[in-house]
Amino acid sequence: METFFGLLAGNTLTRLVFFPTVAAVPLFFFTKTASKAAKIYVLIASLIELAFGVLYLAAHLGRDGGFPLVHDTVLSWISGYGVKYDLAMDGISMPLVLLGIFLLPLVILGSWRGITEHWPMFGASLLLLSTGVLGALLAYDLFLFYVFWEVMLVPMYLLIGIWGGERKIYAAVKFFLFTMAGSLLMLVAILWMAWTFQRLNGGVWSFAYDDLLRLNLPLHQQVWLFAAFALTFAIKVPMFPFHTWLPDAHVEAPTGGSVILAGILLKLGTYGFLRFALPLFPHASEVARPLLLALAVTGILYGALVAWVQVDMKKLVAYSSIAHLGFVMLGLLAADVVAWQGSLLQMVNHGLSTGALFLLVGMLYDRRHTKKFDEFGGLARVMPIFAFFLVFASLASVGLPALNGFVGEFMILTGSFRTLGWPAAVATFGVVLAAIYLLKMIQLTIWGPITKDENRKLADLSFREIAALVPLCVLMLWIGVAPNTFLQPSRQTLETVLAQYRQRVDEPDVRQASLRPATTGAEVAATEAGR
Amino acid sequence: MSTHFDWMLLLPELVLTAAGVVILLLEAIAPSLRRSFTALAVLATLGAGYAAYYVTPLHHVVASRAGTFNGLIETSPLTFAFTLVVLLSTVLSLLASQSYLRREGILAGEYHALLLWCAVGLLLMLRATELLTVFLALETLSLCLYCLAAFHRRISISSEAAIKYFLMGAFVSAFALYGIALVYGATGSTRFLGIGRALAAQPFTNVLASLGFLFLVAAFGFKMSIAPFHAWSPDTYQGAPSPFVAFLSVAPKVASALVLYRLLEAVVQGGTAPNSHKWSTAVAFLSVASMLVGNFLALVQRDVKRMLAYSGVAHMGYLLLALVVVDRASLMPVLVYLLAYVLMNAGAFTVVSLLYSRPGEQHLIADLAGWGYRYPLLGGCLAVCMLSLGGIPPTLGFLGKYVVFLNAVGDGLVGLAVIGVLASLVGVFYYLRVVYYLYMKPETRQPEGLLIDVWGRTAAVLAALGTLALGLWPTGLLQWLMQATAVK
Repeated sequence: METFFGLLAGNTLTRLVFFPTVAAVPLFFFTKTASKAAKIYVLIASLIELAFGVLYLAAHLGRDGGFPLVHDTVLSWISGYGVKYDLAMDGISMPLVLLGIFLLPLVILGSWRGITEHWPMFGASLLLLSTGVLGALLAYDLFLFYVFWEVMLVPMYLLIGIWGGERKIYAAVKFFLFTMAGSLLMLVAILWMAWTFQRLNGGVWSFAYDDLLRLNLPLHQQVWLFAAFALTFAIKVPMFPFHTWLPDAHVEAPTGGSVILAGILLKLGTYGFLRFALPLFPHASEVARPLLLALAVTGILYGALVAWVQVDMKKLVAYSSIAHLGFVMLGLLAADVVAWQGSLLQMVNHGLSTGALFLLVGMLYDRRHTKKFDEFGGLARVMPIFAFFLVFASLASVGLPALNGFVGEFMILTGSFRTLGWPAAVATFGVVLAAIYLLKMIQLTIWGPITKDENRKLADLSFREIAALVPLCVLMLWIGVAPNTFLQPSRQTLETVLAQYRQRVDEPDVRQASLRPATTGAEVAATEAGR
Repeated sequence: MSTHFDWMLLLPELVLTAAGVVILLLEAIAPSLRRSFTALAVLATLGAGYAAYYVTPLHHVVASRAGTFNGLIETSPLTFAFTLVVLLSTVLSLLASQSYLRREGILAGEYHALLLWCAVGLLLMLRATELLTVFLALETLSLCLYCLAAFHRRISISSEAAIKYFLMGAFVSAFALYGIALVYGATGSTRFLGIGRALAAQPFTNVLASLGFLFLVAAFGFKMSIAPFHAWSPDTYQGAPSPFVAFLSVAPKVASALVLYRLLEAVVQGGTAPNSHKWSTAVAFLSVASMLVGNFLALVQRDVKRMLAYSGVAHMGYLLLALVVVDRASLMPVLVYLLAYVLMNAGAFTVVSLLYSRPGEQHLIADLAGWGYRYPLLGGCLAVCMLSLGGIPPTLGFLGKYVVFLNAVGDGLVGLAVIGVLASLVGVFYYLRVVYYLYMKPETRQPEGLLIDVWGRTAAVLAALGTLALGLWPTGLLQWLMQATAVK
């Protein structure tokens, strides 16, 4: 019988999730002034975590480039309620998990100068946040998922509230309350589902994803449960009109916080739709589709238009996130395999390009302590390397062919046009608008004459800053040129999930809640063999 | 029933009583030993815990309603579990008290003796199977509580707290006694079992009995500070010595919750009583009222002790969710919630007691600004307790809410559960306020006159670690409580 600590020692998901927590413990014993030591320690820890991630990937990536569903040994956690400690990775969670692990060292490099006090606590918060995020992405038990989902909140709250800007407390509290408002209703929904499962299953409790997936619920029950889940995830994404916390959180958060927030935290919302809200409640999601589509398309256009009129670089990037994630939602709602692949890829793309943009804005802020366009202009003359990276990241975000954004958006739009028709056509305008606002930002900051004297002596990017940006740019180019490497691991998983989802959508509504028969081991083996 | 006095079964109470007497005598003959009274009292409490373990027939799963004094006092795994929760809060409060008493120059044996006797009253109250015994225990408890609330007699706010508590408490005792009389008149029994049988036999339309129950619910609602019987608690908490409030705000609620459960169980016994659903509605009303009143009033408090007082009202509201539909399955959520509440609330009051040096003045939350860095250990403990009070996983506070809401959902009370979670969202707002003052605001005051000793630190760390550890590894706790509450 394996134990938790046994898992922690092996090449397992448990190690991926909990190594950051273990690494955070010594930080509590660093003195307040030991900034330098803490920085180096956290950087090394994050690189070790990255190595663990690569090792795990190497051990499980299939010969054909596909990524199968891999479970860690399932342990009992709260046995009275059948709550299990069950982590699993498949083609959907794998890219997001690796993105999260990959961004962590870059975030630390990007915060090197910007964070001036309480470095041990900053590092600990980052590491604990990673545990929460990775856990939420990998949890295969809904109780466990909920716990990780909430665990994410506290470190992020600290990141914004301690190292943030002027209105940091307002932003931090708003972030916390918005997120929690949704998730508490989701808790009730999870409890209701577990209780119903227990009632139908002869008193045996379970919160396992596979078990709750067996629930065959009538539409009128699904609608409520879907509403609770969808609200939670829609706030996290964030979809219009639940987006108001995002600009506040981004503007006030320190650079590192913004990168993590945009890079991974928001993806948990779209991931939640893909993993939980759609497959668990197929009929309800079908009913709610027009509404969600309207919100997604509105979000795309609204986010882009608002981004256009911003005068603050960080706010612009924040609103552009709303638009980009609108595309992801559009693709998920299309229920088409190409669109889903595009959505998943676009989640990663957004993490890379927006992460890079936030890092760049942060580097500028470290030098000038402002993020307003009109304070800059002509930076290409004094900071050519900076200008190169800014143009590169912006073009990736706009969707220039041969860079990553193009692939994702193209797949989403073609895929969703196939099943949805005109909403996809309307959303295409979002791509045009993205070009307008990002090019506006580039023009106002780095082209043209230098108008402010302070800008004449700005130092160009240091080696450390370049080191934080190069990996991002390499990946952007790689995805843009050879997207198949990144699409292949998740194709099989997405096809399976989509086939099951479609099949369930087509099933007639039932009168009463019932349980579908459990998939037996033999059937699983048969499907595996069929691959 | 043969007359049967088994003094052994009263061993826990006897240990505590004797320890109180010994401490009082030592105070008189050897006052130089005062500093060791805390250790003595803690030892006695631990001894009482062992005695409770010793006398409880843990291994006879079936016939465990062993009792003494003609069955007036119950000894079962259930009372054992409640006993341990009460003793835990006693220990935490004792540990927190030493530094407060020394700092204020009022270290005296009476304090420890009174606190131990409070615990005696509580243990008797939760073990009593009969209303008059409950009443006697309640009076024992209340007298000691009044004295302790006034213990810092040099500052007027402490006396004010005690007077307010005493006046209302005396009034409520009268209510309780009157209620007992009415119920006895209507059913011919003061035993919970007898009352239940009588009510099951005759249709429950009796005005006398209804009125009697109403009075009793009001009385125990007062002790638990359930809205609308909560008005005393903010003033009393604010004025009474902080480490004592760590006890006052939790322990009486533990025993009262069990008494309330027994009352409601008697009402619904047999399941046929036509009026029992009205009691469900009434409890649901009290629960929702407490959640709303507690949370919204706590939202506007600037004094941390008053904030915790109102938040306590809200917590009792969540607890009552488990008692809306009364069956044996309600007890497990109640116990888990109470245990969580004991740990996190006692932890919070301990830190408050250590970090505020002027008990006569307001304990402003804003005064904690930036102290999370000055006192990393205590600040961290307070933050953990606050997050636990807010119900954030992976703390025991979350687990308590989880079992309570799950119980409510299982009873078909999804609407109430939704109100509960939304109310707790309001709660998160004011608990977070403490955290952001601790870590996100610049310091505004220098510490002066603080006395932070190892006892107080131990209490804070025990409470914070307890909420975290039991939140992470709850299986053993839940299994034990499940067994303790399942035995009939």
